[in-house]
Amino acid sequence: MTIDGWFIAGMIVGLLSTIICVGAAVLKKKPNDVTLLAVAAVELFVIVYLVASIVRVASGEHIVGQTWEFWSYLATAACLPIAGFYWALMERSYWSNYVLGAVGVTVFVMMARMAQIWYGSGALAYGLPQGIGS
Amino acid sequence: MKNTRLSSADHHATAGEADAVAPQGRTSGPGRLLITVYGIFALAATARAAFQIATQFNEAPVAYLLSAFAAVVYIVATVSLARRGQRWARIAAIAICVELLGVLVVGSLSLFDAAAFPKATVWSIYGQGYGFVPLILPILGLWWLYKHRTTAP
Repeated sequence: MTIDGWFIAGMIVGLLSTIICVGAAVLKKKPNDVTLLAVAAVELFVIVYLVASIVRVASGEHIVGQTWEFWSYLATAACLPIAGFYWALMERSYWSNYVLGAVGVTVFVMMARMAQIWYGSGALAYGLPQGIGS
Repeated sequence: MKNTRLSSADHHATAGEADAVAPQGRTSGPGRLLITVYGIFALAATARAAFQIATQFNEAPVAYLLSAFAAVVYIVATVSLARRGQRWARIAAIAICVELLGVLVVGSLSLFDAAAFPKATVWSIYGQGYGFVPLILPILGLWWLYKHRTTAP
């Protein structure tokens, strides 16, 4: 897969968010401003990536893989922090921070898959032949 | 008993000894994390099955139908784990047993009879593509349900 700036940014934001949330959970802290902001940062990043992707496609860039798959991944990634936020805050115990921590790493994995679809390379986890759908 | 505040309206039956710091119910504390991970797998398996069936169903219909079946099992497990009550616990136990059986059977078949499974599913080689989490998850799930089993009233 091609590694671009978006993927690297997503990796940093996602993994950092997970590290902060899991760290807080290990310290047995309940969800607080720090962990909630860490998850909010992931949401903000996904929204920026969503807007930027629309601009890129509108200005003539071509998604090599299945376009509907790319957009459904992006839409799902945008919902994840919100879902995690709700699910975690329905019960404020330190376990909720583990739940919040799951958001960042999941978005990171989805970023990797989205990079594969965008550039049409790899798709290793799916065992697809190269360039399928191109 | 210290839990004099536990009213009959409290349907959180297993939380008898719980305090605010460490919730003990089936859907509380670690249970929420378990449900989260199941939810992520339900999502991943559904996405994978939808993509496989939509784009290349003819290449390996059996493997892709199996992917769809796995997705359904994960969805049922997620929902039933998240619901309170003994009936949902039983449904969760059945779904997770099916999941464990699926990962063991499909994992073994993909290992010893690769020709029968030319295309990967979530359960291929015991979930190797997902860091073997599909193999560990049902064991954790069954242990969690066993730990929070309720005796018949």
